[in-house]
Amino acid sequence: MSQLAETTQDAFPILGKSPKELRVIGNARHLSLSDAEWGAIQAHFKTLQREPSLAELETIAQTWSEHCKHKTFTSPIRYTEGKKVRTIKNLFAETIVAATEAVKKPWCLSLFKDNAGVVAFGKKWALAMKVETHNHPSALEPYGGAATGVGGVVRDILGVGLGAKPVLNTDTFCFGRPDYKGALPEGAHHPTRTLRGVVAGVRDYGNRMGIPTAGGGIWFDDEYRLNPLVFCGTVGIMPQWAVKKEVRPGDLIVAVGGRTGRDGLHGATFSSANLGADAPSSAVQIGHAIQEKRVLDALLAARDKKLYGSVTDCGAGGFSSAIGELGADCGARVRLEQAPLKVSDLDSWEIWLSESQERMVLAVNPKSLKALEVVFAAEGCELAVLGEFTKTGRLEVMHHDRVIVDLDMKFLHKGLPRVEREAVWSASSPAKPSGGLTKKAGDALREMVGHLNVCSREWVIRQYDHEVQGGTIVKPLQGVRHDGPGDACVIWPHAATGDMNDFSSFAVGHGLNPDYGRIDPYYMALAAVDEALRNITCVGGDPARAALLDNFCWASPEDPKQLGALIRAAEGCRDAAKGFGAPFISGKDSMFNQSKDEKGKDLAIPGTLLISAVAPVPDGRKAVTMDFKGVGNALYLIGRTNDELGGSLYHRILGRVGGEVPKVTPAAALGGFKALHAAMNRGQVLSAHDLSEGGLALCAAEMGFTGEFGCLLDLDEVPRDPRIYSNETLLFSESPSRILVEVDPKNESAFLRHFGKGAKSAAVRRVGQTTANPILKVTGLEGSTCLEEPLKELKESWQTALPKVLG
Amino acid sequence: MSLKLQPANVHLIEVKLKNEFNDAEGTAAMALLREQGLSNLKEVRMGRLYEVSGALTANQAHQAGKELLCDAVTQEFRLVPASPAPMNGMNFWRVEVWLKHTVSDPVGATVVEAIVEGGLPRPTGARCAMLYLLNGRAVKAQVEKAVAKSLANPLIHRVVVTEAHP
Repeated sequence: MSQLAETTQDAFPILGKSPKELRVIGNARHLSLSDAEWGAIQAHFKTLQREPSLAELETIAQTWSEHCKHKTFTSPIRYTEGKKVRTIKNLFAETIVAATEAVKKPWCLSLFKDNAGVVAFGKKWALAMKVETHNHPSALEPYGGAATGVGGVVRDILGVGLGAKPVLNTDTFCFGRPDYKGALPEGAHHPTRTLRGVVAGVRDYGNRMGIPTAGGGIWFDDEYRLNPLVFCGTVGIMPQWAVKKEVRPGDLIVAVGGRTGRDGLHGATFSSANLGADAPSSAVQIGHAIQEKRVLDALLAARDKKLYGSVTDCGAGGFSSAIGELGADCGARVRLEQAPLKVSDLDSWEIWLSESQERMVLAVNPKSLKALEVVFAAEGCELAVLGEFTKTGRLEVMHHDRVIVDLDMKFLHKGLPRVEREAVWSASSPAKPSGGLTKKAGDALREMVGHLNVCSREWVIRQYDHEVQGGTIVKPLQGVRHDGPGDACVIWPHAATGDMNDFSSFAVGHGLNPDYGRIDPYYMALAAVDEALRNITCVGGDPARAALLDNFCWASPEDPKQLGALIRAAEGCRDAAKGFGAPFISGKDSMFNQSKDEKGKDLAIPGTLLISAVAPVPDGRKAVTMDFKGVGNALYLIGRTNDELGGSLYHRILGRVGGEVPKVTPAAALGGFKALHAAMNRGQVLSAHDLSEGGLALCAAEMGFTGEFGCLLDLDEVPRDPRIYSNETLLFSESPSRILVEVDPKNESAFLRHFGKGAKSAAVRRVGQTTANPILKVTGLEGSTCLEEPLKELKESWQTALPKVLG
Repeated sequence: MSLKLQPANVHLIEVKLKNEFNDAEGTAAMALLREQGLSNLKEVRMGRLYEVSGALTANQAHQAGKELLCDAVTQEFRLVPASPAPMNGMNFWRVEVWLKHTVSDPVGATVVEAIVEGGLPRPTGARCAMLYLLNGRAVKAQVEKAVAKSLANPLIHRVVVTEAHP
């Protein structure tokens, strides 16, 4: 008997109880329901003149959780910015959805309503992408939490439309610094242990499923030490006919895959609460990648035989969420005794709510059941009929002839009370940079290449199989020794399409910089979109066909300042999407990323936004990498440099605060990206690398030491704000939308023609050339050498930094 | 008439690398334990434990260990006796890290299926654990603390630390 099963299952008395008494019940059962939500539940059951059952209460709590309903993004907010006050009715609809509707891209095939976003990939195929977070479970159990994060997002791709074949996994992490020396509260893992466990979890699940893990990044900041962020993404490919799904009354409810156990109870409600020492161990699951691979193979075989009409995965909330969502528009009748179990002593509500991994639910026409059984049996994958979809509009669940849930679908899915929250944002005027002593450019650059947010991730990347399926054209590590930092990956999904003569490929890139958000989350969002788009542009992705995904990770939205910052970031996303003409196709938010530190004070993460971009690469054979390719080639800088060192890596290493945060001008940026893409399509670009943390100096150093050629740069040629008189600003400013490009001298005129009439706003200028001597040499504004560094030494610092702190 | 229930057989099968082979996993584990203060460790060797329950006889458990769970070239196995003799001394420690029973054990589930595919009776269950054999001066409390901070997570793991043979 589980410790939670001691309460009677048939009636769970709540009528007549005070809010205080209900809070006690909610806390004891990890229900994460607010007073208003308790009130709505009480009122509903008062109308029914009965008490809810435990399973009903748990079902409502799961369905209404932050994880499932995204209450922060969909509830009304009274927003105060300076002296202006306005009401936001639905932040999601007014920012992410509104921008996507405004840009109206006909190649968007499925947006926001399914388990992932879907865009067309040629005439026959479609790409589905989803990025999930698994932060709270990874904080408690890094290996299991991260592994099931991968498993969950892979199932999202299997559960989009009628199912897509996963062809790429991505991983982006935010951790405390591995060399953190301070105290930690009881039970918290040291950031090094979290990092090791998370990487191992992502590695083991992705590698065992035979999906390449080839994109992502890591950001280190001590404010993540108690709340690491683990973003797991998957891209899948499917025939366009499989994008639509439909549940019909009379369809059978069929569960496939893993058995149901006690593991993973309360995962959804857990994600709606602050992380504390009392977190339930059941919120963490251990993944079974081989089981999921069997589900994958059987499901796609059944899809191609058209043996089911709809599918979704069992994620947070288990059967309650999966069947509740599939039957939301019609109704469902479930007989739980049919569910295959791992252990025999599960209570009814535990079977219904369990979040055991590797399970999917299908809607199957009864005529197709036998054929479906044959397909799944061939893969050694269990299948069970749990009931049928009805047209009653009710969710009815029975266990051994005992009704444990009988809920109106309308109440379940539309009954959540919308409570207005308060949000505040105070726009501060940009402070003049202050603090910190200026360093010599060479010293600063050496420190930057070895900084944890810049240095090589080879220790992580080498643990992942990024080659499986044989389609990774642009790999995470590049250059003559396959060890330089790529901007994005390019995947040629021939293993899924089976067409070796079609070289259509796609690129996936990311943008993330919480340091900009500390100054203004609005510009952080614009910069993240810009970074993701310029990363995919650098490898050959078409910026005019890019689709975006947003992942917001924030502290408690009940803090008006936190919520105000979140609104700024969402509005930045809206304006970036409109400006770049790039739709959002999917996203996710993770709130309450804060915990009590060793002194009992709340430690919140910095507001963090990960933007992912996916775009077609028309011909994978023309994809470009970032390493210098030869001697005497021209170096062009696309994009204008401004005095934008606020939140920069340069300021961080100097210990300097304030300054202008980088500001994106989407129209100008897009002009440059499009022109570069056109030049790449004509084979006029040898290498390209985006300027991000560390600015021009770091970008040139990375291109040089990866290709093992040096370069000469002249800062006087850099397209810039004429008010800049500082070499350091030109070397280290992090103005967005800039890309350094290597061009064969014989192609220079043709290359420049792309930046002519069609893209007048794009600043592009020849700023130097590549050399045989592996040295980065820069001539300053005054005409003398301001930076001269051997690339070999820079590379050594870059490569050894992470292994050194990991021991 | 009284009904007499037959207790299920439980076999503990221990598999580890032969001593003549370099144990890279053990070396990595030693580095983690040293980081947690067990600086006197000289060597750590790793293995796996499989607790198989059900109708298997000792001979059948031996067969499963030999033919299924152990690579005869690089590894050796044994059936661990139910009550190992207590040891003296502080230089050798045996650490078992088990998943708690409330946590799924995919490896154990796979072992059950593999035993059946190998032609043996279906076990009622199997659980897998990581085994660490520590050589180096330490006291039990130190070992338990270091393991909890590096090789096990008390949230999902049950750790058994006992004195052991060299």
